[in-house]
Amino acid sequence: MSRETYEAPNTGSGSRAPALGRGNAESALGGEGPATQYKCGDCNAQMKLKRGDPIRCLDCGHRVLYKERTKRMVQFEAR
Amino acid sequence: MSSKRKPTNTKWSHEFDTLRRENLFKNPPQDHSAYPLLVQAISPHIESFNEVFREGGLVTKAIRDIGTKYYLDGDERTGPAGKNVLSIRVKDVVVQKAMLPPSNKFTTKRHIFPAECRERHVTYRGRMEANLQYKVNNGDWHSFTRDLGQIPIMLMSNKCHLEKNSPDLLVQRHEEAEELGGFFVVNGIEKIIRLLIVNRRNFPMGILRPSFKGRGAAFTQYGILIRSVRPDETSQTNVIHYLEDGNCTFRFSWRKNEYLIPVMMILKALVDTNDRAIFEGLVGLPGSKATKNSFLTDRVELLLRSYKHYGLYTKRKTRAFLGKKFRIQLGVPDTMSNYDCGTEFLRKIVLVHLGNVDVTEAQDNDKFKMLLFMISKLYALVGGDCCGDNPDAVQNQEILLGGFLYGMILKERLEDWLGTNLRLVLRDYLRKTPGNNFATQEFAKQLPVRLMGRTNENIGQALEYFMSTGNLVSPTGLDLQQVSGFTVVAEKINFLRFISHFRMVHRGSFFAQLKTTTVRKLLPESWGFLCPVHTPDGSPCGLLNHLSHKCKIMTKSVNASAVPQLVVDLGVVTGSSDIDEAVIVTLDGKVLGWCTPKQSLLIADTLRYWKVEGSHNVPKELEICYVPRSQGGQYPGIYMSSSPSRMIRPVKYLALDKEDFVGPQEQPFMSIAVIEPEIVSGESTHVEFDPTNILSILANMTPFSDFNQSPRNMYQCQMGKQSMGTPGTATRYRSDNKTYRLQTGQTPIVRAPLHNDYGFDNFPNGMNAVVAVISYTGYDMDDAMIINKSAHERGFGHGTIYKTKKIDLSEGQRSRSITYMKKAFGFAPGDEAKGRQGGIDEDGLPFVGRLVQDGDILCCWHTVYVDASGALKNRDGVTHYEKYKDGETAFIEEVRLIGGENGSDPLSMISIKLRVPRSPVIGDKFSSRHGQKGVASQKWPMIDMPFSESGMQPDVIINPHAFPSRMTIGMFVESLAGKAGALHGLAQDSTPFRFDEENTAGDYFGHQLMKAGYNYYGNEPMYSGITGEELHADIYVGLVYYQRLRHMVNDKFQVRTTGPITKLTGQPIKGRKGGGGIRVGEMERDSLLAHGTAFLLQDRLLNCSDYQKSWICKSCGTFISTQPTVSAYANRRKGTGKVRCRQCARKIEGALGSGTGETWDDGHGQRWVGGEDTTIVAVPGVLKYLDVELAAMGIKLKYNVGTA
Repeated sequence: MSRETYEAPNTGSGSRAPALGRGNAESALGGEGPATQYKCGDCNAQMKLKRGDPIRCLDCGHRVLYKERTKRMVQFEAR
Repeated sequence: MSSKRKPTNTKWSHEFDTLRRENLFKNPPQDHSAYPLLVQAISPHIESFNEVFREGGLVTKAIRDIGTKYYLDGDERTGPAGKNVLSIRVKDVVVQKAMLPPSNKFTTKRHIFPAECRERHVTYRGRMEANLQYKVNNGDWHSFTRDLGQIPIMLMSNKCHLEKNSPDLLVQRHEEAEELGGFFVVNGIEKIIRLLIVNRRNFPMGILRPSFKGRGAAFTQYGILIRSVRPDETSQTNVIHYLEDGNCTFRFSWRKNEYLIPVMMILKALVDTNDRAIFEGLVGLPGSKATKNSFLTDRVELLLRSYKHYGLYTKRKTRAFLGKKFRIQLGVPDTMSNYDCGTEFLRKIVLVHLGNVDVTEAQDNDKFKMLLFMISKLYALVGGDCCGDNPDAVQNQEILLGGFLYGMILKERLEDWLGTNLRLVLRDYLRKTPGNNFATQEFAKQLPVRLMGRTNENIGQALEYFMSTGNLVSPTGLDLQQVSGFTVVAEKINFLRFISHFRMVHRGSFFAQLKTTTVRKLLPESWGFLCPVHTPDGSPCGLLNHLSHKCKIMTKSVNASAVPQLVVDLGVVTGSSDIDEAVIVTLDGKVLGWCTPKQSLLIADTLRYWKVEGSHNVPKELEICYVPRSQGGQYPGIYMSSSPSRMIRPVKYLALDKEDFVGPQEQPFMSIAVIEPEIVSGESTHVEFDPTNILSILANMTPFSDFNQSPRNMYQCQMGKQSMGTPGTATRYRSDNKTYRLQTGQTPIVRAPLHNDYGFDNFPNGMNAVVAVISYTGYDMDDAMIINKSAHERGFGHGTIYKTKKIDLSEGQRSRSITYMKKAFGFAPGDEAKGRQGGIDEDGLPFVGRLVQDGDILCCWHTVYVDASGALKNRDGVTHYEKYKDGETAFIEEVRLIGGENGSDPLSMISIKLRVPRSPVIGDKFSSRHGQKGVASQKWPMIDMPFSESGMQPDVIINPHAFPSRMTIGMFVESLAGKAGALHGLAQDSTPFRFDEENTAGDYFGHQLMKAGYNYYGNEPMYSGITGEELHADIYVGLVYYQRLRHMVNDKFQVRTTGPITKLTGQPIKGRKGGGGIRVGEMERDSLLAHGTAFLLQDRLLNCSDYQKSWICKSCGTFISTQPTVSAYANRRKGTGKVRCRQCARKIEGALGSGTGETWDDGHGQRWVGGEDTTIVAVPGVLKYLDVELAAMGIKLKYNVGTA
């Protein structure tokens, strides 16, 4: 990889990484804004939803979704 | 697969069974629960609910009782002639299970399971439909169906998806493996209908109640009360009052109004009879012994004579008279004749248990006979031949089951809908379109849809309201004494508390206000039915009881149809011909006949033998109450009941050595030995299976409770329910507002076998602790306890609180659909970057796992509208933040996105579960299982703790003074047993009543200790951890199971010096939540004064409260006339700094004053001179407030200001 083609890794989740998950936005109503990963409360399927999307599992139609545990580092002072 | 496997073992002992439990937990059984006792404990709730909707169940019976409603068209003011009659009736009611609405087209899984309802904070409910039939005049019946809304469904009932699910399936459906059901899920909260104590049904009770006298002139304290219950479980109470002159009057209450009728009128209306028959029915044949009883004959004669002036001699005339009087109250159509109306009156009100639908002549005759019996009993009561029945004794009580109450409300709603509601709609319709009478095509077209649509047919909503508030909205009152408090939240603080809710029986909130304590008394009749130990102390004491663990409640009537013939075969005379010296035989409030006293004993004994034997079609659950003749005792007779709602309990019948069920009515007349040595030959007929059968589930969990002073066991029953334990294993799928969890729960070493039978090891509730009883360091004074710091660090008592916070953006809106959206989660455009700093994600929701502290952002939202393309657009670019406001740090455990049941609604509600870690801190409350609670006072370093010769150190130190006055010897025995159990690796059986004077517990466990090389008495020499010296006394050390109670300092502490104040007075606000103060009242003030601590008092009552500096005028002595002056030349911010009294000043008229002093300006352009004698004083703020208030009333306060 040459120096020119290198792209600095972006730490913030706000960055629009082009590849992952963006293309297969399964949004029914075509909601707006960033897509966030959720998990179905019944079948554990993972899905990405945007603002304004209907809240239901895209696989089984379940109506409770969980937000996934953050991938960011979570560090606490141990005392 | 399960058929090949061995069925799950349901036998348990007191052993640990660690591997068996592990296996049960890993592989939940696929056939049935391993804990049948648990299922049994709550079964009255489920079975009673099942009764409502099963085929031929309560609803079906209720519909028969409601019958057909008739309406007439045309002008209301004219007579019935020539009008059309509309007849309408409910054919049946169908309830569906909880299903998704048809509008949801996104899934093939149509079921809604309870777990989803909990998570979505909605009600678990199913649609109810009614099939209605109507006809006009004598035409054909036409049917149509109406939707009655969605009614809440009891979990595990026959309308629930979870019915008969195996533990394995339950786990798949996100429930507890041992989910019990018996409750409802209403708005995500688990609610149960309380069991209520009501009067025993169909039994005429003799009542002595002084308040009866207040009912009117001539009333006395005597009465006979019968709570008559229809087959659909609704009841109608009838009372016969004794009047001073010896007459009797019949009282009933109908739609919350009371009515009085001469009892003779009812008798004459029921059957065609004459005065002689009534006289002989009450007194006996001529020549019999009772005819010489002039007390009785005089009164009966008066009864008959005084009725003469009504001039009603035949049944036909009497019924017509009654019908005429009660037309309006009964709401019968105008077409019905007075006679039929009288018949309707008798059907609906008089002794309804003997016939309430299509009443036959035989049934009317039964009612007649029963009424005669009631009158004779009343005269016997007045004459002192028998005593009154105690309505506060379990003997004369039964249980109103939740399901039955639910059915009663449902029936009433249906009747109200078809009777009252439809009437109003029809009247309205006829007034607006008088042309469309009932016979027209137009009406036929409109009735099923348009007109029914105008009625309030959402019965589901009414039931949901009842479940969520516990309030009864009812035009009749349902024959109950209260209108609220029928439902309670089934809190899952720990499993003990949860299970106790289902065994709880309440006397009724009416009795809670009663000043007399008679209703609260523990009576011997309760033996074996209500637990003597398990009742709270304080205001609900004795009113809120718990069922003994072996006590069952019947939910169905048993088949006793063979009994009437059997008693006749045994010599009972059915005719009322000769009742001289005879005693009555009744079954479910129906007179079967009479027999001699000698025969009666024989009949009762024979029936009992047959019932235990199971022969002659006498059911085992039949209650045969034999009341022997006595001098002034209870009214003799044989009273049998086969009805539901009765309490029954198993005892051993000695004659057959088999299980018999006894009820509370018969028990006082039976001789039941408690233990086998107590059996008296020739007298005892029964023996208890186990003396612990009298205790409730919780009371049975107190180890060696027979060694304790009784109130301590009561305290333990309370504290067991307050301990931080394990609410369950499916906590992920729950969204309780607040739940507690003990991280390091253990199984107790010392426990009763019932501990395993009820599966309490699935829900650990405390920890085994090494407890030393010493006065060490002084930090264990006054019920404080010292915790070993290392034990704490190893996790002793570590707990967690889970709090769920619901954030609903569509609150108060009709629909959650996107077209109605006003707010959406997430950031307004341009604010995204702020979120990352605030710790929330792009979607506006918090990161799961994050730590939140006071003031941190939990989530954010912004206002939106829907643009032309259907997308959400932000309105104003403002992001609103929801903040975490508790002082404690917490972690985001779960973030749940909640969708609508249509599956098409965007996000408008989330629930965030927060985890608050609560490791024990100083001030947290702990308790042993013997009512010995204490507060952690120190976490003492391990190196400084005393140690024994084997190097053991206590986890907990408690003070010896905790014992002498409380006498909790059971705790000593537990300590001893626990120590021996731990040393030998045994689980110790702690069932009460197992030891006696010859074989003492101390000896049994002492020898176990000796075998392990320890002191027989449980004492050990110990060494001071600080000096290393041996302590002068041997120390009592052992293992005791400790509970951590949910009362923690972190939820309770309240500290302030200064802080928020109320604006009006300047004094601190109330309440811990807002950082308010604690009131220093008069007595506290007196105490501080008496101690001579005046400065402390000033500091508390003034300086830290409403201390204020205020200007006052010294010459006129008031606050309120002082005012600051203004000047054009003064500093803008500081002002002139001069304050003058307006009252003492003189206004300057004209351009210049007289020149006697400095002039000042009041800011209104007015100039003054004088009023300079002002100064600043420190006063309480309220004083100035008082001054102002008094001034408003025209009272002036004058303060004499001196120079102190």
